[in-house]
Amino acid sequence: MKKATEIPDIAELDFSPVPKSEAHEEKMRPSQSYWQDAMRRFVKNKRAMLAALSLVIMLGICLLGPLVWRVDPNLQQLNEALQSPSWSFEGRTAKVIADPDNSRMQTFVPQAGILNSTVENIVTVGLASTVQIHLSWQAPPGAHAFQIYRNELPPLDRSTLGVPLALVRGLEYRDALKLELIDYYYSIVAIDQDGKESDSYKTLQVNVEQAFSLSDAKRLGFDVEVGDSVVLNAHPLGTDSLGRDLLARIMKGGQVSLYIGIIAPLIYIFLGIIIGGISGYLGGKADSLIMRFTDFVIALPFLLFMILFKVAAGNSSENSINIILFSLILLSWPGSARLIRGQVLQLREEPYIQAARLLGGSPLYIIFRHLLPNTLGVILVSLSFAIPSCIFTEAFLSFIGMGVVLPDTSWGAMCNEGVKLMITYPYLLIVPSVFISITVLAFNILGDGLRDALDAKMRSRE
Amino acid sequence: MSKILEINNLHVEFDTYGGTVHAVRGLDLAVQKGETLAVVGESGCGKSVSFQALMGLLPMPPGRISSGSANFQGNDLLKLKESEMRPLRGSQIAMIFQDPMSSLNPTKKIGDQIAESLIIHKGMSKRDALKESLKLLELTRIGEAPKRLNQYPFEFSGGMLQRVMIAMAIACKPQLLIADEPTTALDVTIQDQILALLKDLQKEYEMSLILITHDLGVVARMADQVAVMYAGQIVENGSVDDIFYRSAHPYTLGLKQALPNSQEGKSAQLIPIDGSPPDLFSPPKACAYAARCPMARKVCLEKAPLIFEASSKHLSRCWLQHPQAPSHPELFCGERK
Amino acid sequence: MKKYLLKRLWHGIITILFISTATFFAMHMVPGDPLSSEKAITPETRKALEAEYGIDKPLFIQYGIFLKKTFIHGDLGFSYTNRNTKVNEIIANHFPVSAKLGLLAIFFATSGAIMWGAIAAKYRNKLPDYTSMVLVILFISVPSFVFASGAQLLIVKLNAATGWNLPYRGTDSFVSQIVPAMILGLGTMAFLTRIMRSSLLEVIHSDYIRTARAKGLSPKQIFFSHELRNAVLPVITIIGPAIAAITTGSFVIETIFTIPGLGKFFVQAVQQNDYTVIMGTTVFYGSFLVLTVLAVDIVYGFIDPRIQVEK
Repeated sequence: MKKATEIPDIAELDFSPVPKSEAHEEKMRPSQSYWQDAMRRFVKNKRAMLAALSLVIMLGICLLGPLVWRVDPNLQQLNEALQSPSWSFEGRTAKVIADPDNSRMQTFVPQAGILNSTVENIVTVGLASTVQIHLSWQAPPGAHAFQIYRNELPPLDRSTLGVPLALVRGLEYRDALKLELIDYYYSIVAIDQDGKESDSYKTLQVNVEQAFSLSDAKRLGFDVEVGDSVVLNAHPLGTDSLGRDLLARIMKGGQVSLYIGIIAPLIYIFLGIIIGGISGYLGGKADSLIMRFTDFVIALPFLLFMILFKVAAGNSSENSINIILFSLILLSWPGSARLIRGQVLQLREEPYIQAARLLGGSPLYIIFRHLLPNTLGVILVSLSFAIPSCIFTEAFLSFIGMGVVLPDTSWGAMCNEGVKLMITYPYLLIVPSVFISITVLAFNILGDGLRDALDAKMRSRE
Repeated sequence: MSKILEINNLHVEFDTYGGTVHAVRGLDLAVQKGETLAVVGESGCGKSVSFQALMGLLPMPPGRISSGSANFQGNDLLKLKESEMRPLRGSQIAMIFQDPMSSLNPTKKIGDQIAESLIIHKGMSKRDALKESLKLLELTRIGEAPKRLNQYPFEFSGGMLQRVMIAMAIACKPQLLIADEPTTALDVTIQDQILALLKDLQKEYEMSLILITHDLGVVARMADQVAVMYAGQIVENGSVDDIFYRSAHPYTLGLKQALPNSQEGKSAQLIPIDGSPPDLFSPPKACAYAARCPMARKVCLEKAPLIFEASSKHLSRCWLQHPQAPSHPELFCGERK
Repeated sequence: MKKYLLKRLWHGIITILFISTATFFAMHMVPGDPLSSEKAITPETRKALEAEYGIDKPLFIQYGIFLKKTFIHGDLGFSYTNRNTKVNEIIANHFPVSAKLGLLAIFFATSGAIMWGAIAAKYRNKLPDYTSMVLVILFISVPSFVFASGAQLLIVKLNAATGWNLPYRGTDSFVSQIVPAMILGLGTMAFLTRIMRSSLLEVIHSDYIRTARAKGLSPKQIFFSHELRNAVLPVITIIGPAIAAITTGSFVIETIFTIPGLGKFFVQAVQQNDYTVIMGTTVFYGSFLVLTVLAVDIVYGFIDPRIQVEK
């Protein structure tokens, strides 16, 4: 600290006294209430807002989706089975054709000789459609049987003929194996007397048309004749092995997953508030009795007992959704009861509560005016983490077949169905997995955001 | 006597949610060899922050030293690299903190924690360092020192822990010891013992001591020189007698009037200082104390006060020290009137 | 300390009894009786079987017998679906497989979490922190069966594309053990990483780290001799529950990767309504988990000196 070298003249300085009020005018920044402050911080959190938005979309899809997408999630259409996602909502027009001719094929008498030439004249018989592709060809001398291959790309050489469909002892073949609206390349390789495939092959490119057999159309309730067209539902997310529309099932399964995931925490946290609140407020013998009991329930291995309750209630019961709900509540309330009790115990000792009590505040007044508002933050945060964990539990149980069972479905149950055909039809697993993951992720991020916004201590640290 | 530490124009800022806080706004200080400088001020006036910044202990970000220099034995502490600063910290300059309970690692034995600085600064073996730690514990008058060496902090009382902190700080015989509110968290009786210990050790080791405190009683007992801080600036600087008997700043007067004084045998009324310190998000451009100052004039609200010399080596940042300013009976205004 | 240990042990025993009781009565709430799934059963055989399994006696006697057999003789009875197999044998045969998988997973989860959490905290609010926090929340949110099936799909596709022959199921090779263990530990690792990160952040900003810096310790010395140990403590307290999560998580992983562990067996037993196996496995797992949590707590008591006096 150095003393000033140039001191201004007294004439430049106004040494007149200041009125008291002016001197004590203090500048204050506008103060915000706890909830305003938390709200501001939450809204500023981009990640949390994004999560909230995706949850709104998710809820919209599951709850309002069925109003727009009116496909029956339980409608089985075997001829539509295992279609990959089309990613489009546009229905497909299909020509109604006569039921495929399944009459026996013509007998085939092999010509004698040595097999040294290829199959000739491969043609399609009738309409090549998604119902059936009927191939016929002429045999070279020495051919005793034919191996039919199918590929979705033009084969380049002998080794890229595609899927071996069948070994045929005849001159025609009817393919109805999961036909889609694309071009197929059929290659036919002749086989000699000794069962040896020849090295040469012949390929035919077949352009497929969307069609529907008359009997299928009738079964689905279309009143049509051969030659008419029908409009088939699109399957934006594909179909499962029974030909059920995945989008419709995702909506239905999502309703179940979200129902369990949201209702169970709401109920058990409510129970926890009541029991924990009473326990904490009463204290003494009642408190220690209740807490001893919650300790035991908490010590139960959670998933093991979820499974056990499921078994106890009958594994194939029709009421599988409510059994899970009930078991979740039964096993989860002690956690929140303990949390709330801890909060209440802590708050009870706070000076402002003591003061309220000294001033004659009734227990109800204290509970509603002081205890509840001050535990609300903790309750909200624990709720926002309880929801994803319940969705997770439901998915886990349904995945091992211990959760939601037919006729109901859930995202977890859909994963369980999907995993069986995962290697060949990965979308069956991927689609419901993506829905579970996004939902749980969004709830978790939302919970993080809430905690950061409500918990001042955490905020300074993270 | 020679200066061991000279701080010039130190500015420290913090970047926070609500904007930049100017915590320290041009601090000038000097400490002479072997003497005790007390830095006094209320909470949040920037006294701890200044010295943590000096030691390089300020978390950066959000903290930031925006300008200044601190000459310690020919080195500018504020310009040293972290790796050049490290050999000085703990060996040349040591520091003890306010809350001894939280300032020691809860899961490490006391002996190991004291030995640590001996091992890194003196290159001692762990065994020698522990032996030396034992001596240090005895020096700080901790009973049953050999047993204590193997105990954990939670087994100690607050006063004992502060003794441990002191033992740790003086382990390498530093030339400067910065004690940041060393007795604030302690009982009054313990406070007294700790202060006595500090004073003795200071004499024995010929250390300079910077004592950061808000307690004028501690100042009166310990200090040679006193710097009174307000809103990130020093408002008055002088010898302990200057500050107590010739207070030249209204804030110092206010602090004194708020101090219980039973020694004079009459029951003087305690007068609190009205209002609260200014918001350091946007510090006032004129005198920071003007809003609370009972002697404030219009100029105090308009222009930043200059630094005047009330008497020799007794400086005050107050317009009322202007040679032609109106006088106040309570305020010491030098020999001019 | 001794008193604390005894109290914890006593509490553990009561908990195991509680688990067994809950298991017993839950299993006896099952509609119909365990033999109703048997086809073509004559009244005589039925009687004989009922006598054999002791289900002709009143419930409380059955309960007494169950407790006596389980805890005094350590006998969990015979399987319902496989009449000649003792439940004890099933556990003895299949639990080691699960234990190996679980241990690998726990090792992977904790060591990964400590390193990862430390890196995230050290680079707080920088790129490594952001990316790892995104990954953490992803690993917490995506069910393990998705990762498991995904990994399997990936291996199959990789095999198809490259002509390799990586195993994607079973326990024949090292790879086929490491992949399921990593996936099993993934969620736990993410969870622990989070705890490690916030605990290290708290430690970094604590007063005693400031003291250590004031002593002149280098960041490296501070990290290894002060920060790490204190930051790991909260992680250790969670290891008990983490083991529980990993144990139950192994049901799915073992089923997907067809690993012949107890988890896979349990799921099978549940699907076949094999009540003795369900009951035996539940009691076994329950006791195992209670004892594990107890063991972790005791170990924690030795690591954190503060515990010994507090309780």
